[in-house]
Amino acid sequence: MPDRLDPRFDLSFTLNGAPVETATTTATALADLLREGCGGRGTRLACERAVCGACTVLVDGVPRASCSVFAFEVEGCAVQMIEGLENDGELSPVQAAFADNSAFQCGYCTAGMILLTEALLARDPDPDEAAIRDWISSNICRCTGYSLILEAVRDAARRKRETAP
Amino acid sequence: MTEAPLRNIGRPDRRIDAGEKVSGRAVYTTDIDLPGMLHAKVLRSPHGHARIVSIDASAARAMPGVHAVLTRDETAAIPMPVYGYFIKDQPIVATDKVRYEGDIVAAVAAEDEGTANRALAAIRVEYEPQPVVTDLERASDPDAAELFEEPPVGIVPKYGQGASGELRPRRNVCYRFSYETGPADAFDECDHVFEDVFRFSRMHHFHLEPFVCVADWSRKDRIELWTSCQNPFPLRKEIARIFGLAENRIAVRVPYIGGGFGSKNGCKTEPVALALSRLAGRPVRFCLTLEEGFLTNTQHAAILKVKTGVMQDGMLVARKSEILLDSGAYSDGSPLVAEKAGYRIPGPYRYRRIETDCYCVMTNTAPAGPFRGFGGTQTSWACESQIDMIAHRLGIDPYDMRRKNLIDLGEPFVPGESGMDSDLRAGLDLVVRELGYRRRGGLEDDGPVKRGMGLAIGFKDGGGVNKPALARVKVSTGGDIFLQCGTAEIGQGAHTALSAVVAERLGADRSRVRYMPVDTDHTPFDQGTNASSAISVMGQAVDRAALAARAQILDFAAGVLDCPAEELDLADWEIRRGNEAHPLAPMIMGHFGGTGWEFVGEGFHKAENSHAAPLEAPCVFWEIGWGGAQVAVDTETGLVTVEKLFVTGDAGRAIHPLVCRGQDEGAALMGLSQALFERMIYDGSRLVNGDALTYRVPLADDLPEDFRSVTQEQGHGPGPFGAKGMGEGGMLPVASAIANAIHDAVGVRITELPLSPERVLAALAAKDGG
Repeated sequence: MPDRLDPRFDLSFTLNGAPVETATTTATALADLLREGCGGRGTRLACERAVCGACTVLVDGVPRASCSVFAFEVEGCAVQMIEGLENDGELSPVQAAFADNSAFQCGYCTAGMILLTEALLARDPDPDEAAIRDWISSNICRCTGYSLILEAVRDAARRKRETAP
Repeated sequence: MTEAPLRNIGRPDRRIDAGEKVSGRAVYTTDIDLPGMLHAKVLRSPHGHARIVSIDASAARAMPGVHAVLTRDETAAIPMPVYGYFIKDQPIVATDKVRYEGDIVAAVAAEDEGTANRALAAIRVEYEPQPVVTDLERASDPDAAELFEEPPVGIVPKYGQGASGELRPRRNVCYRFSYETGPADAFDECDHVFEDVFRFSRMHHFHLEPFVCVADWSRKDRIELWTSCQNPFPLRKEIARIFGLAENRIAVRVPYIGGGFGSKNGCKTEPVALALSRLAGRPVRFCLTLEEGFLTNTQHAAILKVKTGVMQDGMLVARKSEILLDSGAYSDGSPLVAEKAGYRIPGPYRYRRIETDCYCVMTNTAPAGPFRGFGGTQTSWACESQIDMIAHRLGIDPYDMRRKNLIDLGEPFVPGESGMDSDLRAGLDLVVRELGYRRRGGLEDDGPVKRGMGLAIGFKDGGGVNKPALARVKVSTGGDIFLQCGTAEIGQGAHTALSAVVAERLGADRSRVRYMPVDTDHTPFDQGTNASSAISVMGQAVDRAALAARAQILDFAAGVLDCPAEELDLADWEIRRGNEAHPLAPMIMGHFGGTGWEFVGEGFHKAENSHAAPLEAPCVFWEIGWGGAQVAVDTETGLVTVEKLFVTGDAGRAIHPLVCRGQDEGAALMGLSQALFERMIYDGSRLVNGDALTYRVPLADDLPEDFRSVTQEQGHGPGPFGAKGMGEGGMLPVASAIANAIHDAVGVRITELPLSPERVLAALAAKDGG
């Protein structure tokens, strides 16, 4: 059985800013650890081949396809998932922009798209059109035709710049 | 009725699922987790067509952590272990034969998916391979292998005027749909008759949420099922039939669905999971991988032979069509798609004579079924390409050719049908303006890169056939509104739109409405979330339910206030009578006691049956997608760049403008990718690109530089506030608009999708050579 073949070992990292001490196996994907163990189910698995980006989380600020990252790789890292973006029940500016622009339909890619946008805007608060398209092209949305997502990213950048200290 | 301005209709405020979906809290079937839940995996056929000589699963059964193994030995005890729509031909697991690579042979439920996969690897199957059938045009040859030697159980539904159907009309054809109207000799009077053949590629829906269900049949007389299925009541009926259980023993629950585009339409994962759950006595989760999705349901590839008779001035007279749909190995929804493809091939034009035969051809490939457009994408590709071809042959501008022949507003599509509920010319003229079609002669070429523009009008009947819909609206003492109806939220925004309708009728803000979970035990009956029917069919039921609840509330208040109900109005949970405002909560508690009461309104809608209508009921609404494209064709590389893509649909009335826009744009991008690159590639019976890396779907950087949509609101729809359905129309015109633009740019006609650089170069070479 899995436990006999693949003994558990300790793992520590920060998740949405809070320390996590847990145990995992060498075969566990980060997505499974987050979904089954500690984070909540907002991280969605779709292609499980690191192509579609639905399962995107931020590891030390870098968007990663959590289906294809081993859990042990995040030892000592800061992991950010969709559940950690709200602040006291308030949506982040990026989340609010996606909500207000109807930049989602079925919602299965949405967490990944939002985290991707968070990472983009952390690097470049005023991305040009080419940069936005380039970044959003790393994830797949089958529903929207992308236009509303691109508008949400532009809107999110505006909101973040306006509220920046 | 209130004359106040509408407070919930036409407003782009946040969808009711926005908070849950942007925060990660939305619950999908993939998130359902039951105590003691096992995980299922299936063994799939490596052969396209083979007899099963033997199956030895004894080693799998003996493995630790394995709780149930399902093979043909176990399904023999199930009352009717086959499923399908008109034709029950798909077994839960293979019995005598496998019919495509990926056909399910055995299933295992184990403690986890890894254990289940190891157990599957221990199952020994001996196959006797058979010749495969993969060529649509040779499948009925006398020497072609037969997928089904014996006829499966099947039915032909009742059709109306001019329509007919037939089971197994010829070898490897499971169904034929035919339609005819008008005088048989109409071709004789035509100045010209043109015959052209069009080939349509095959896509996978590529919904991001996989096919998934959680089935609990641990108690003998009770099934609880959570599933990513858009048609919960038909599914319940099918499960009851398969397993011989009463429908009131089966609860089907549908959480948010992570996309479907037609695929999540009937039995998919559910029969296997239920059978395993019964064997194991524990709940079973069965979640397919995305790769398995490609093997579960697909669009129909097609060959469309279209013969059109026309007068010298461009007037259409007659059209005779033969359509071959690649239905794959099992019938699934193919006969229904055949009805619609056969019915829609004339396009939105006026003819004296229409004659169509549409065949569901069985091949040793994955089962094809419902896909956005539902036959209309195939027929719009052929119809709108040929209209352009005929126009050029006659020396007429394709715009003028269309305008001359379009059905008028209010004119029936064919005898016995409902009238056209959009001004088709107004939509076409909108495209012409937005695209700058009149100025296309001035488009500048860029060395070997040539530019051109094309138009198209996609066409389908919307709203489905025989779709009874029931809705219930409850209003509590405090004015909190419960909406119960069976429309699944699959991304299309239906929960938002239907809630807006209810709120509007009850004089409330939309935030007061809660859309209750879809659960067949509690939700009123509905035929399913399909055919762009949510607002046009269920919307009418919901509207009536809200008005019924409103009438009850006003009647109650009229009794308390001792006045005629006609003097009263309802707003913000107060009864308004002239300048007086009477809060309802105390009024209700004064009458019913402190706990209060719930007002309950029900609303029903079903289009009337009519034998005069070819499909036995007049079309609910006509779903039209007008489109136009500007392309740049590189004559050295064959690369087609779509520089402008404009699509427009008619929402009748846009209940939520951003939702409407998202439907049209999402559909248009699916059409664009099918036009240019997206397709399933088969090598014989083997799918060679059935995974996310090699199957190319469009990304944000595939968007044309200028990509726009406009939602028309012509106001003629049957739904609440004049609404019509959306969601499929935007896909329909795109491929033909691009093909027409390519012809405009470089003078070559490509009649097969995708419009790849190879095909463009070959066509250019043929033109130069000829």
